[in-house]
Amino acid sequence: MNRTLLWIAISLGGLVVLAYVGLSIMAGGPKDAIEMLRFAWPHMHRGKFRVGDIAPDGQLVALDGATRFHIRERSNGRPLVLVFGSFT
Amino acid sequence: MQIYEDYKDHADFLTIYIREAHPLDEWRMKSNAKDKDDVCYVQPKTLAQRVAIANDFTQRFKFSVPFGIDEMNNAANDAYAAWPERLYILDESGRVSYKGGNGPFQYEPKEVRAWLAQRYGEVKHPEPAPEKKS
Repeated sequence: MNRTLLWIAISLGGLVVLAYVGLSIMAGGPKDAIEMLRFAWPHMHRGKFRVGDIAPDGQLVALDGATRFHIRERSNGRPLVLVFGSFT
Repeated sequence: MQIYEDYKDHADFLTIYIREAHPLDEWRMKSNAKDKDDVCYVQPKTLAQRVAIANDFTQRFKFSVPFGIDEMNNAANDAYAAWPERLYILDESGRVSYKGGNGPFQYEPKEVRAWLAQRYGEVKHPEPAPEKKS
């Protein structure tokens, strides 16, 4: 029994190490893997809607910092390409 | 953004600036400081700070694509699951016609170009020559 538990613990530990190594490679380093879990993971999700669904609208702020407009206002009867991103 | 220059006569474009991906006070990446443009900011805590960074970005890169900034409640980011970067195309009726994957690994501008090319044909204007440094 104890031997079985030991092997289960070793296997789980090995999986955790492998996952950490894989995440480190993906994120760019061991420290980045931790930062990724801490800061990026909470913001990562696939989204609730699918292709063909009505797109959610949302209010944005213009570069002047005061003017507000809605995403859909920027579609002038043509397809609208949305490019989400940040500076860093 | 070359796709914008190529297809702006056919489709509308909107860049949406969302919360920073790699600010100094969160998941900082060495590449930001090493970058020749030295892109180093803390995560904006106020709308004024977010607007200031957005203006810095558009001015520094002479960014001509129409621009909007997400509110501090990150409503657009959350609605579109956009962080850290993502591409969508909405059709004329407001339906999602293309839903790109989350960046950076699934961020594929070539898929947007392919969607536009399929509808409007291949368009490729010559890229502007880089500015000479004085």
